[in-house]
Order: sequence, then C-alpha cells, then structure tokens
Amino acid sequence: MQPAKEIRLGPQRPYDVIVCGAGHAGVEAALAASRMGVEVLLLSGNIDTIAQMSCNPAIGGQAKGHIVREIDALGGEMGITADVTGIQFRLLNSSKGPAVQAPRAQCDKKAYQFRLKHRCEIQPGLTIFQAMVTGLIFDRGKVVGVNTNLDLSFYSKTVVVTTGTFLRGLMHIGSNKTEGGRLGDFSSKSLSSSFLEAGIELQRLKTGTPPRILGSSIDFSKCEEQPGDQSPTLFAFHDTRQDGDLFHVEHSGQTLPGWTPGSNQVSCWMTEASGLTGKIVQENLHRSPLYGGEIKGVGPRYCPSIEDKFVKFSEKETHKLFLEPEGRNTNEWYINGLSTSLPFEVQLEMLHSIAGLEKAVMLRPAYAVEYDFAPPTQLYPTLESKKVQGLFFAGQINGTSGYEEAGAQGLVAGVNAASVCKGLTPMVIGRDEAYIGVLIDDLVTKGTQEPYRMFTSRAEYRLLFNHGSAELRLKSKISNYGLVGDGRLSRIHHKAERVSHWVEYMEKINISGGVAGDVLRKNIDNTPSDLPSSFNAETPEVRAEVLYRVRYRGYLNRELRSARKLHDLDNFKVPEGFDFLKAYGLSNEARQKLAAVKPINLGQASRVSGVNPADISLLMVLFRAQGS
Amino acid sequence: MSNLDTIVAASTPSGKSALAVIRVDGPLAPTIIQSAFGRKNSLIIKQATTGIWRDLKNDAVDQVVALLWAEGKSFTGSDSLEITCHGNPLIVRRLIEDCLARGCRMAEPGEYTRRAYLSGKIDLTQAEAVADLIHASSERALSSARRMLAGEMGKLVAQWTDRLLQALAILEAHIDFPEEDIPPENPQGPLILLGNIASELYGYAASSKHDSVIRNGLKLVVVGSPNAGKSSLVNVLSGTQRALVSDEPGTTRDFLEAPIAGLPLAVTAIDTAGLREGGSVLEKAGMVRSLEQAESAHFIILVVDASLPPPALPDSLLVLLNPTKTLVIKNKSDLPEHPDFKNFLPDYINIKTCLLDGRDAEKLRSHLGDILVARQLAPGAEDLIVSVRHAEALKHAAEALTEAISHLSAPVHTELAATRCREALDSLGEIVGRIDNERMLDKLFASFCIGK
Repeated sequence: MQPAKEIRLGPQRPYDVIVCGAGHAGVEAALAASRMGVEVLLLSGNIDTIAQMSCNPAIGGQAKGHIVREIDALGGEMGITADVTGIQFRLLNSSKGPAVQAPRAQCDKKAYQFRLKHRCEIQPGLTIFQAMVTGLIFDRGKVVGVNTNLDLSFYSKTVVVTTGTFLRGLMHIGSNKTEGGRLGDFSSKSLSSSFLEAGIELQRLKTGTPPRILGSSIDFSKCEEQPGDQSPTLFAFHDTRQDGDLFHVEHSGQTLPGWTPGSNQVSCWMTEASGLTGKIVQENLHRSPLYGGEIKGVGPRYCPSIEDKFVKFSEKETHKLFLEPEGRNTNEWYINGLSTSLPFEVQLEMLHSIAGLEKAVMLRPAYAVEYDFAPPTQLYPTLESKKVQGLFFAGQINGTSGYEEAGAQGLVAGVNAASVCKGLTPMVIGRDEAYIGVLIDDLVTKGTQEPYRMFTSRAEYRLLFNHGSAELRLKSKISNYGLVGDGRLSRIHHKAERVSHWVEYMEKINISGGVAGDVLRKNIDNTPSDLPSSFNAETPEVRAEVLYRVRYRGYLNRELRSARKLHDLDNFKVPEGFDFLKAYGLSNEARQKLAAVKPINLGQASRVSGVNPADISLLMVLFRAQGS
Repeated sequence: MSNLDTIVAASTPSGKSALAVIRVDGPLAPTIIQSAFGRKNSLIIKQATTGIWRDLKNDAVDQVVALLWAEGKSFTGSDSLEITCHGNPLIVRRLIEDCLARGCRMAEPGEYTRRAYLSGKIDLTQAEAVADLIHASSERALSSARRMLAGEMGKLVAQWTDRLLQALAILEAHIDFPEEDIPPENPQGPLILLGNIASELYGYAASSKHDSVIRNGLKLVVVGSPNAGKSSLVNVLSGTQRALVSDEPGTTRDFLEAPIAGLPLAVTAIDTAGLREGGSVLEKAGMVRSLEQAESAHFIILVVDASLPPPALPDSLLVLLNPTKTLVIKNKSDLPEHPDFKNFLPDYINIKTCLLDGRDAEKLRSHLGDILVARQLAPGAEDLIVSVRHAEALKHAAEALTEAISHLSAPVHTELAATRCREALDSLGEIVGRIDNERMLDKLFASFCIGK
C-alpha cells in the first residue's frame, strides 16, 4: 500500500532506512547507514534526549570497552564521543595481560548527548525528526514504512527498530507505578501490537537505576577517592582518525574541542552500604515490587538491586558503592550500586544510613522499569527479522543491556539495512573476529533469559580480542562496506602492514640475549632496550600490537587454530528450506530448538543450547544426503 | 523430507541355531512389519506379536515373533523392530532380502550403536562400551565395560567438569569484574582445586595401561631348566592335560599355549622348551624360541626343581627376569629342598609347591591373581579401565591444568590460566560431549555478588 503522497522533510531522496529511536543503538544505526550513502530518517519521540545516558554516566569497562573500540574501528561514533566528553579515564585490569585490559570513562552526560545530536545533524544523508513511531506499515511480508503519533506516515525500504525500554515501559518506585521508558519520558504502547500483528513474539524484562543526589550534600571526607589514570587510555583510534573528528559541540567548527581528551579529569568516590542499610532493606523487603511479585520481568544477575544483594548474599556485610559525577556543569551525582525499586521514603532512609551520604539530598529517586523485548532468536545474524523482510532490531529490544552492546547492534543493523537497499551481501561478524560477533551470535542463536551483557568470558578466542587490534581484525569489513573515509582506510592498511612486517621481522633479528622474538617471550614484563631504533620510531599503537603478537605468539596461534575448526562448521550451510522438525533421528529437544532458531550453518546450529555434537554429526549426514 | 535410512541386519551369528534375531531400524520399521504380517492395524508397541511373515510375493517365509519400539523409546532412538525367527540361515537370508526389497539397506558394522549415540540416547563412552561388552573375554573386562555402559565415565567427567567450572568461575570473576565488589584475588583456592583435579585425571589416564590387557589378555610365559615341571605347571593352571609331560628332560621342544581358567582376567600361559647349556641343534632352536616368548611376556614364571642344586641359568634368560614381573615356583616341595636354594634369587617372590597331581591348583591360581594385581600388571576389581582415547583426552586436560597452575603463580597471567582451563574443559568434553559456557557464568553469579 504505497501512499498517494510521500512526505519528505526536505529536499531529500526517498528514504531508504527509517530508524525508530535515537538512543545509543539508533544513533549508530542512522550514522552507519548514511555513511554508506543511503537516505536515512531518524525518528525520536523527543530529540532533546538523543543518545541520552539513561543509567550511569560512563562508557566502557571490561568487554564493553573492547566493544567501543570495535565500534570505533567500524567507523562508529561512541568511542570518539566518549573521548571528547570524558571527564575521567581508567584502564581496568592494567595489572593483567593486554587482552583483558579495558578502557573505561566517566562522561559528561549532557556534553555526550549534545555532541552526538550535533554529529547526526551534520551527517549528509541523515534527517532527524521528532515524532513517535506508533506502528509499522507492512506490505506482503515486508515492512514499507511507519506511522507516527502526529498522524504522519513515512515510507522506506527498510526499518531499524531501537525502542530501548520504551515498549510498554512500566516504572516502579515501591507501589507507585508510572508508564514510561524512563523517568520523565513516555511509553510506547501501540508499537507492541504492531509486532504481535506481524507474528513477532514479545516478552518482558526488567532493569533498574539508582537514585541521583546533589554533590554538595555528600561528605567526601568519609569516602575514598578514585582518581583517573595519569595517562588516559582513549577509546578511538586517534592514530588513524583525523583531528577533524575531535570537535566538541560548544566549539563545533573551531580547531579545539571544549577540553582536550583526558585533561582536567575529575574523581569518582567510593563508600559502602553497611549492616544498617541491610537492616533497612530487610525490614522493608515486602514493600519492594521485586519481592512482592509485582514485577514479572527478569532482571540482570550482574546488576542486582540492593535488595538482591542483601538477600542473596546475606553473608556479605557490606556492599561497595561508587559515587560518579554526571558532568562538569552539574552537581548531580550517580550512586553506582544502589539500584532499587523500594519506596521513596525507604530510599531516603537507606541513603542516610550510608557513610558520607548522611545528609544527602536526593534529586531523582531510583526505580525499576519493565519493558517488552523481542526474543532475539527471531532474528537472522544480520539482525533482520525472520518474520518481516526489511525489519531490523537493535539494542534493548533484543534483550541486551548497556550502551556499548546497543551501539554495536545499532551499527550492524544500520550497515545491513543499508546493504539491503544497496544490494550488498549483508555484514556478519564472526565469533572469532570481534566481541560484536560473539554478541550477535549469542543473541540470535541462544537468545537470552535476562538483560544480556557482554563479558570477556563469553568469547572463545578472548586472547585474539585485545582492544588495540580492533581495526586490524575488522579491516576487511571496514573496507567492504565503506564504513570509514579513504584517508582513514589507507592509514589502517598501513598500520596493518607495519604490524605484520615487524611481527615477522622480530623472529629474524638478533638482540642481546638471542633472537628478538625469543627474548620478548622470555621476559613478558620488560621490553629490551636494544630493539632496532626503526622499531622505536613506529607509533605507540603499532609497537604495542607487535609486542603483544610476538610475546603471546603460542597462545594466539592456538586460538587461531581452533577458530579455523569453527570455520569448517560455519562453511557447512543449512540447505534452503530444510525442515528441522522433520529431521528424523534428532532428539525432540534439538528439533524444536533448531526449528525455532533456524541456523544458517552448522556452526551456528552447534551453538544452539540443547544441541549436542552428536546432533551436528547427524545433521551433517542428512545434509550430505541432500547433496548440500 | 529429511529421513534416515531404514537399516536391517542379523543380530545373531550365522549358522544353524534354535532361534535367530534380525533387527530393522528406521522410519520404515512399523510399516514393514504391518505389511509382512498382513495386518490392518499397526503392532502394539513393546508387545511381542507372533505372526506369519509373508514376503512381497505373499509367500510365507517363517512364523516369527516381532517386537516394535517407538521412535524416541528404543535403544537407537529410531523406530526399531526386532524379529525372532527360526535359526536357519536360509530363513534369515530370505527375511533380510525381503526387508531390502521393502526399502531397507544393510546396516554397516556398529551402525545401531552409532544411531543410539547420534540420537543422544547414550554418550560416546557408552557407545564405545557396547562393543567392549560384547567382546569382553574375562570377568574384569566385562565388569569394566558394564560400568562404562552404565555411564560411569560420563559421571566422572561431569564431576570433574563441575569442579573445573567452579575454579574457572573464580578466575573469570577476577578478569571480568575487576572493579566490582568481590573478594581480593587469591589464586590459592583455584590452585588447590586445579591441582586436585589434575592429579585425579592423571590417575585415571594411567589406568589405560590396563586397556590392552583387558582387551587382549595377559601373556604369561613359563621358563626353567629342562624337566623342572614347566609343562606340569601349565597343565595345573589350565586344568587340562594340554602339555605332554614325561620324566625325559627336553620333552617340550616347541611352545604351547593354554588359557588359565579361574582368573578374573584372560591369561594365556605359554609353556616353553627347557633352557640349559648344550643340547642338540633341535633343542637349541627350541631354546631360542623360548627366550623370544619370554621377551614379549607380561609375566614370567620360572620353575625350578627345588630338590636339586639350583640350575645355572643362561645369561640370555637372566637379563629378562626382574622381581616385578617374575615369580619363582619351587617345584617338588614333597622332597627336601636343596640347601643351596637359600640364596637363590633372593629378591624374587617364590612359591613352594608340588605340581605332581594338581592338588595346589586353586591356591596357585589365586596366588597368581593377587600377584598380578599387586604388581599392577592387571587392574584391581575396583578399577575403571579407561580406553586409550579417554586417556589421551584426560592426559591432555591434566597437562593443560598443570600449565594453568604455573600461570597462576603470576597474577598478570590469570587470563592465560583461564584459557588453559577452557582447553581442559574442551578435552573432557571430547570424552562425552560438549560443555556449555553458560554453566560457568551460572556458577560465577552464584558465588559472587557481582554488580555495582
């Protein structure tokens, strides 16, 4: 049902991609798609909240920091924005090996979203419009456009849905219930029925956020300071990016950002919830909707509410809390670790039982939010719906949590929506290429029972995923989809060439103590002083990557070998139209699960939960019989 | 559209017998029996049904008993049919030919078990145990195979895996949640856990040295001077009169094999020509072959005539003897022992006996059994014998854990230790099936209060 008159918001071409929602997923999706040269419309119910950090004002951390680097490698915006608006930088796990070190930054919450909004505004081929999507328009199994609350319909070839916590969002503060995806924002109700109408299944999840307080009411003398790193580790690959990216929104068009990345850092502070807080929690547990059975959605295990902490780990007397500033131009502070759905007055009592917060003034209460998500096993690894052609999903609607996980999916969904429009083979990142590959494969293959967060331990080939190698690992994707400009692409190629040159060369040259490679491996913590001066003249990024690859050669090779085995199974494609339900000889459980997930190859099939190696051998036999 | 073939084969050996069993396995099984019996309705599942089998030409082949299992409930997991017919090879052949005509194909060796494994009815160790159970040639081989088939190995692996995941969860917690509220990193806990697992894995891997003994039996060679009573010993142990016995020294020129009855293990005794200096050309050739046999023996019994002065044994024999794999039998205990025997091979276990009429047979056999177990040449009754394949995987896992332990001494290499633990998990997984990483995360979240 093509409209009589298509609405355009300016002199644009017809829209190729409509992105619903402008959070961390939506922004990356819209930017990635428009970078590929297609026409994009980004719709948000409130464009003042583009890329808002709804929970803690921080980017990165273990595994998430790795993902941000990968987003940056793929031309995404999250890393550079965190760098430019970061007010405290810390490298986590700095005492461990390079593969598991991860950058993390506290960001100025407002500066972060202003920069990203502006970034969208200046992006060629991208139009922003404030309207809430109320439904999808389908035509013969395909999505062709969206309806909005303004009674305006927009049409496009593909649609990327990034609804966050807004789909039938319901917030809980004690017995108080408010509809909305975030305090102060609305909820999107009619869109859910649009999905159900298309046969897309929805379920409920729950997440929560702690109270915010006034910084001037904190007694910092009772807290422990946690300063930033003297030499900050940034997220973006500044060695291959251009300085033009380094704008800060107040200074757009000028040569210098608002503050130089990593300068003028501020501290976070630590305190703890003690037995007294625990007592208050225990006494009021019946008033928690989480424990009273009010909340049906499943919450994340790794981000438990303070109720959960005191109940499930009752033997632990204290629980650490982190006080994090929300920006340079505000005195609002975030209390990391105090997420709760207890009533307002209990929250206040709890706050005042905490060392340093005895006189704290609350600015916003903590709350839990329940929302609809679409179990992601309904998606192909491209993030396109199996039910509706041209419809892509990214972010919390896929059951994930975290800005980084959302941004990564947004980017992939954006690239693939654009690929559909341009007739390109879709982009699928492997489990052995990047955390993004692990993330999406886990989602579409295993689904999730709780808000999904990335951990390094989810990756089989963790040692291959050191954060410094993201560009090199994703090199072919970057160039195949034109995700970065020619200048940066050639700098990435040059960097890759330097790294492989030196990795080879280190095994050929002698320094004192023997072959350079052997000396480096014998002494993992110290770098010999007599490496060639031409090596020392390389960029720090190239040097670090070379040293890592030489030192960990044995381990990396082992992981590469087992990754290759995985490829053998990945190359075994499931025949078109293969009906797993009729796969005679498979256990019933395996049949049901495989039929639900519809894996595209045996590698993916082998990772479906409940499918064992014997099932895979059997499928191999069946596929061979069909001449696959 | 995607169906397994239906396969057919005789389950009983060829040749005439009272009854023979044919198995048909696969989706065609229910319809084949229904039409061969000319029934309107399908057979009742798991109920023996007697009927006349008529082939496609409607000729009666035999009166048979048919037993049908439903898909998912049979050993193989497929629809499965067992036909018991009269044990005439011609009948068996005609039945099989008719099944082929009805769309079956001949089963490949081991295919039923393979199907059971593929359908997830049994794990890999159980699949392997099926063949072992059929071919077991001794009580001990049988009991080991029986325990494997009952899934004992699978349980062991599950238990190791569980403990390993516990240790890994601790390591991963410190890698993935460095900022969070977990106890400070202390490698001591995981170190002890991993150390214990590794030594158990090594222990079980070592039992595979009995694998070949369990499968192929143990070779026991009887040596000694001519006329010491070697052939009498073999006869006593085997409970037969296989070896020719006479007072004439050198009666045995060639070696002679006899299975020893009454041991929990298949043991073959080999009688050899007597060893002495000199002798005829023929006798010398016999002696060379005796030594060859002794060289490849698991165990050697040296028989001496204790009433005579100790024999001068040729050096070529002495080098083959050692106290761990040699037993000395002092024969002719009915006569007074020659005083010089006080200092004869003092480090060796010896048994005084009289082999004349087999009166000591029982005592000798049980003695021998005890010695074989004590000397670790044979497995004890409690030992689960792992196959060479299992041992490989166990050893690989144990080595990976040993390396993990060495990494843990330096805190910077927790991630390398974790990598090795995962490798060990994969190796264990190869024995039975796969290990899911989700279980590690479950353990992690159950043990630590993660989350700011």
